[in-house]
Amino acid sequence: MRAGAALCLAMLAASVPSAAQENGDLDRIPTAVGNADATPAPQSAAHGKYYVEDAFALSSSRGNLAVPIPSPSSSHWANRTSIDAYDQWTLNKDLSFTFSDRFNLTEAKGIGFPVEAARNDLREAYFTWEPATQNFVEVGRINLKSGIALGFNPTDFFKTRTAVSQASADPSSLREDRLGTLMLRAQTIWDSGSATFVYAPKLHTPRPLVGAAPNWIDPAFDQTNSADRFLFTLNLDVGDLSPQALVYHEGGRTKLGFNLSHPVGQSVIAYAEWAGGNEPDLIAQAVAFGKATGTLPAFVPVLPPTSTSRAFQNDLAVGASWSSIEKVTLNLEYHFHQAGFSGEDWRNWFDIGAANPASASELWYIRGYASAEQQPMSRHQVFLRADWQDAFVTDLDLSCISFVNLTDGSGMAQFAAGYNISDAWSIGAYVGGTFGGKRSEWGSLSGSGSAIFQVVRYL
Amino acid sequence: MNRLFLGLMAATLLVPASFAQSRPSPQDIVAAADKVRNPGQPFRVTNTLVEYIANKPRDRVVLVVFAKENMQTHQFNNIVRYTDPPRDVGKMVLMNGSNMWFYDPSSKVSVRISPQQRLMGQASDGDVVTANLAKDYTAKLDGEETIQDADRKDRSCWHLDLAAASADAVYSRIEYWVEKGTNYAVKGKYYSDSGRLLKIAYFHKFVEQLGGVRPSETIIIDAVDKNLVTTMSNSDMRAQEVPDAWFQREYLPRVKVD
Repeated sequence: MRAGAALCLAMLAASVPSAAQENGDLDRIPTAVGNADATPAPQSAAHGKYYVEDAFALSSSRGNLAVPIPSPSSSHWANRTSIDAYDQWTLNKDLSFTFSDRFNLTEAKGIGFPVEAARNDLREAYFTWEPATQNFVEVGRINLKSGIALGFNPTDFFKTRTAVSQASADPSSLREDRLGTLMLRAQTIWDSGSATFVYAPKLHTPRPLVGAAPNWIDPAFDQTNSADRFLFTLNLDVGDLSPQALVYHEGGRTKLGFNLSHPVGQSVIAYAEWAGGNEPDLIAQAVAFGKATGTLPAFVPVLPPTSTSRAFQNDLAVGASWSSIEKVTLNLEYHFHQAGFSGEDWRNWFDIGAANPASASELWYIRGYASAEQQPMSRHQVFLRADWQDAFVTDLDLSCISFVNLTDGSGMAQFAAGYNISDAWSIGAYVGGTFGGKRSEWGSLSGSGSAIFQVVRYL
Repeated sequence: MNRLFLGLMAATLLVPASFAQSRPSPQDIVAAADKVRNPGQPFRVTNTLVEYIANKPRDRVVLVVFAKENMQTHQFNNIVRYTDPPRDVGKMVLMNGSNMWFYDPSSKVSVRISPQQRLMGQASDGDVVTANLAKDYTAKLDGEETIQDADRKDRSCWHLDLAAASADAVYSRIEYWVEKGTNYAVKGKYYSDSGRLLKIAYFHKFVEQLGGVRPSETIIIDAVDKNLVTTMSNSDMRAQEVPDAWFQREYLPRVKVD
C-alpha cells in the first residue's frame, strides 16, 4: 500500500510540475538583462555598408599537364587589399541614388606596382525614380541578377563577363561581387506579382579576353555593354510556387527562362531553373568570339571539331535545400548545360592537345571563355553546398561547396570557415582544391590547391 | 544568412489588452492574449536583439519590422530590415505564410527559406512574439498557478496547454501562462514535434504602445543551447500603412527605412 501511494505521489509530481519548478527557469536569465536599459535608443536608419578587406592566398599547381597551358601563372602567392562601399541616398520622396564600388590593390610576383596592382570596380551607380506608387524607373549601371539556384543560374542572363577579384570560389561570392550593366529598367509591382522590362545598350565592341589589363579606373563597359540586350520578366504569386518567366533577346537570338520554387514539408525547398534558346554550342561560341575580337586568327579551324550552326540548347538547374534545427543547411543541385562539352568533346580536347601542342592556345581559350561567361564547361555536373551556422560556438560558420563532373568524376571542393570576432571584425579562411585524373575536366587544370586567409574590418 | 535567423524573429511584441470575463474558455484566453500582442492595424516597430552567451552580452542586432495581418490566414505578414551591425545593414527577410525569402543587397539575390528555418536558432523567437496562437492551436486549461514573472513577482495565471491544430502551426505544443484578469502573457514554453523543449519565453516590461499596454521586452531562453539567452526589445512602434504588394520578394529591394 505504502509503495502504491508513493508511486502515485511520484507520478503526480512528475506529471504536474510545481510553480517552484517553473520559477527555476528564471535562474537562467542573466543578471545583466535586468540591469539593461528598458527602452533602446532609437536607431538612425543606416543604408550603407563600408569595409576594408585583406585576403592573402597561397596556391599550388600541377606539373606535366595533359594539355600544357601556354602562359601559366608564375606566382604562388598573392595579397589583395580592398576597400568596399555600398550605399543608397534618398534625394527626394521619389528619387534615390545607389552606389556600389570596390578598390583593389594586389601584390604578387609578376604584378607591376602600382599600374597593374591597382584596380577599381564600379559595380553599380544608378538612379531610381518612383513616378507612381509601386512603379519604378531606373537608369545607370545596375547589377541585375536572376535565378533561384545556387551553383548555376541559367536565367542569370546578365552574368557574362562580370566577374571581378574574389577570395572564394563559392558561386554566392561570385554573384556578390561583380560588375553591373549600364541599363534602363522599368518595373511595376502589384499585389500578387510584378513585371520588369530592361534595355541594356551596346556601348563598345567587346574587349578581347586576352590582352593588356585595362586602366585601373576603366569601368569596363566593353565587357558589360558590348551588345544590345533586352529582358522582360514576369513574376506571379500563385500556388506557393513563386513562378518567374523571362524572355531575353541579344544579338538576334532569343532565350526563354523559367524559375519555380516550392516548400516540401517543413524542411525542404525544391526549386528548378531553366533557360533555352537557339545558339551554337560552347566551342563554336568561344572560337567565334575569339576570332571576332582578334585573339584567334580568322583561319584557325574550330577545335575540337563541332557544328557551328545554331540549335536549341537547354540549360537546367534543379535542386533542393534541406535545413535542420541544428542550423545546418544542405543544397544539392544537378546542372545540365547542353551547349557544354560532351564526353566526346573532352576526348577530342585531350587528344588534339596532346598530339598538337600548337593548338593549346585555342583549346585553353575555350575554357577561358566559358569561365568569363560563367558557363559550366561540361554538360552534366552536380553541385553540393553545406552550411553550418554557429558551429560549435556562436558566430562560427562553416561551409563546404563542391562541383563534380558527372562524366569523368573530377571536381573541386572548397571548405570555408568564418568567425565574427565582433560587430566590426570578421576573419575567414578558405581551403580548396581540384581532384580528378590527368585527362579530366578538373584534373587537367594547373591549379591543384589554394588556401586563403581573410580579415574584414567593417566601418 | 546567419543573420537571417535573427531577422525571422523580428515580428512585433504586441501587448495585452484587457479582457474582462469571469470564466473564459481556454480558447478565449488565448485569443485575448493574442489581441494583446497584435495591435489590429498595420504597424512598424524597431526591434533590438541582444544575445547573451554564458550570461554575457555578445551580439546586438537592430531591426526595423513592418507587419500587417493577413486577412485570409489571420497571421501577421512581416518584412524585416537590418539596420545594425554594419555587416548586416540592408539585409531583408520576408515572411508571408510559407512564402519566406531572405534578401541580401550585396548579392542582389533572394533565397527562399523553408518553414523549418522558423525553428532554427532565434527564428522561432519571432513566432513566440507574433503568432496568433488561437488560430492555429487548440487550447486546454491545465489549471490555475501562481508563477513568478521575469521580475520575480508573483502572477496568478491560467496554465494552458496548446496543441497544434493546423499545418501552419510552427510548434507542436506550447505551454502558456496568461495572467488572470489582465490576460497578459507571462510565460511560454515551446516544443518540437518530438516533444523536445526548444524555447522558454518571458514577456516583460509592459508599457503603453500603439493604443494598448504591451510587453516591450521578451526574454527568450534557448532550451537547446544552454548558454544562450536572447532579449528582444521593441521601440518606436507606430501605425504605418503597409501595402500588400510589399509582401513579395520582388519588393524587398524597394523597401525604404527613413
